[in-house]
Amino acid sequence: MSTGDSGGLRAIAAFLGTCWKINLASALEYRLSFALLAGMMFINNFIWLFFWNLFFSRFPIVQGWELRDVMLMWAIGAGGFGWVNLLFGNFTRIATIVSTGELDLYLAQPKPVLLHVLASRMSITAAGDFVFGLVIFAWVGERTLLGALAFALGLLLAGLLFLGVMLHVGCLAFFIGNSEGIAQQALGSFVSLSTYPSSIFKGAARAMLFSLIPAGFISYLPIGLLKHFDPWFVTAAIAATALIGGSGIALFRFGLKRYASGNLIAARS
Amino acid sequence: MDRTMGDSSRTEAGKAVAIWGAGAAAFAKSAAVARITLRQMMFYKTDFLLRCAFLLMILYVFSQLWSAAYGGGETGSVAGFTLKQLLWYLVFTEALTLAAPPICSRIEQEVKNGDVAMRLVRPISYVLYHYASFLAEAALRFAIHLLAGSLVVWPIVGAPNFGYGWAALLSLSLGALTVTFLMAAAIGLCAFWIEETRGLEFVLQKLQFTLGGMLLPIDLMPDWLQRICAWLPFRAAMYLPARAAVHSGGDHLLRDLGVQAVWLAVLGAIVAVIFRRGAVKLHVNGG
Repeated sequence: MSTGDSGGLRAIAAFLGTCWKINLASALEYRLSFALLAGMMFINNFIWLFFWNLFFSRFPIVQGWELRDVMLMWAIGAGGFGWVNLLFGNFTRIATIVSTGELDLYLAQPKPVLLHVLASRMSITAAGDFVFGLVIFAWVGERTLLGALAFALGLLLAGLLFLGVMLHVGCLAFFIGNSEGIAQQALGSFVSLSTYPSSIFKGAARAMLFSLIPAGFISYLPIGLLKHFDPWFVTAAIAATALIGGSGIALFRFGLKRYASGNLIAARS
Repeated sequence: MDRTMGDSSRTEAGKAVAIWGAGAAAFAKSAAVARITLRQMMFYKTDFLLRCAFLLMILYVFSQLWSAAYGGGETGSVAGFTLKQLLWYLVFTEALTLAAPPICSRIEQEVKNGDVAMRLVRPISYVLYHYASFLAEAALRFAIHLLAGSLVVWPIVGAPNFGYGWAALLSLSLGALTVTFLMAAAIGLCAFWIEETRGLEFVLQKLQFTLGGMLLPIDLMPDWLQRICAWLPFRAAMYLPARAAVHSGGDHLLRDLGVQAVWLAVLGAIVAVIFRRGAVKLHVNGG
């Protein structure tokens, strides 16, 4: 790596650090609201686990899955969604930003556009998701160094998969115009699919969950990564994450070439 | 003496006419709001299609989950529910859940951006306006979601031949949607004090999903939880109509209607108190 490259990376790291610091300061301006929203999200996730607890009290094992596996699936899903939504909170709003012309604001500034868009917002509720993930892992996960490292890898993969998928969906706005509704439904559907045991799906549905709609790579992490380490699955999950992320970035760049300004006067939000 | 009695009875009759007239006017205004809402909805067909797509997806997931839990057997019964009854039960609860417009967020937005002031000066009660709009939107969505849900479940477990269950479902759905509206309105109106009600709305939704029996019929829950659910309003919003539908029965219809009536009275009173207190402390600057 050349000195120029490392200097560029340092500048980007410093830029990201500043964005996150400002986002956090902004969120903490209304501390009570921050605590309430994050706390409510924590409770919200916990209520889902309560449902699963009721479900498994009737059916203790379903397709090899037990309550603990589902709890870890939620820990990885919510934790992964939480960290990416904390650090890159605009990843769910790309369609809105493109279709409303808010993108002009970022194009006019001398920073990497996509990174700037993503890091310009911090989701307050995401703090509850992230903490929830950590608490559930501390509760039922394997509390060893190896277990913690595997969980951290799971969080990283899950977060990047959420980011990559929403990047693809958000980029639709470059090609079909207003796609906010589609993006919202896609997010809801993807989150839902990644929080049900992948083993309940068979045939074409299962194949789709590990290809076109890669939610299966998130929902199977508690089994393939944490419970019975499966090197083939983990390799496939890493490759899928890299592929989806890379193609998402390429799609955004391609879409940017087609982007026409809406002449909107906007401020960072 | 006679004249006094005559005056009194005329006054009573006058009051009755006035009350009847006010009620009729409120009904006419609500019907107008409902008509306007339905017309507005016709412009958002894409939103409809997307919601239906989500419903199809989630029902497909549920059908896979419950088929796996039942071991694929369509004849066995768990807590009085066969797989067929359970999947159709989920169609009804999902259709009711997704039928409800986001009334909580709408009220919160109106309070936050000051639009509430515009609504308050109109010649119709603020809560009644939202109720009429809510009901019109919810009724149309409910019908469409029932059709969409049938597309997933019918091919898997067969036709919904529930006989009188359909009549029970329709009878209890109006009360169910009204209970849902009142709970959401109570949370939305809290925006008069705390502005941000999203967190409370999340929790309310999840309580409806679990304790309301949306994801799991209350009969499948442990006894201690069933006893708690019996004292909460959530089951009146989803469980009662969906269970009555799949158990083909009018056996408990009157009792279920009574339960809904009690909750409508209690929640209606709570919403009225919150609204009155909130409206008194409202300050809107500019316009």
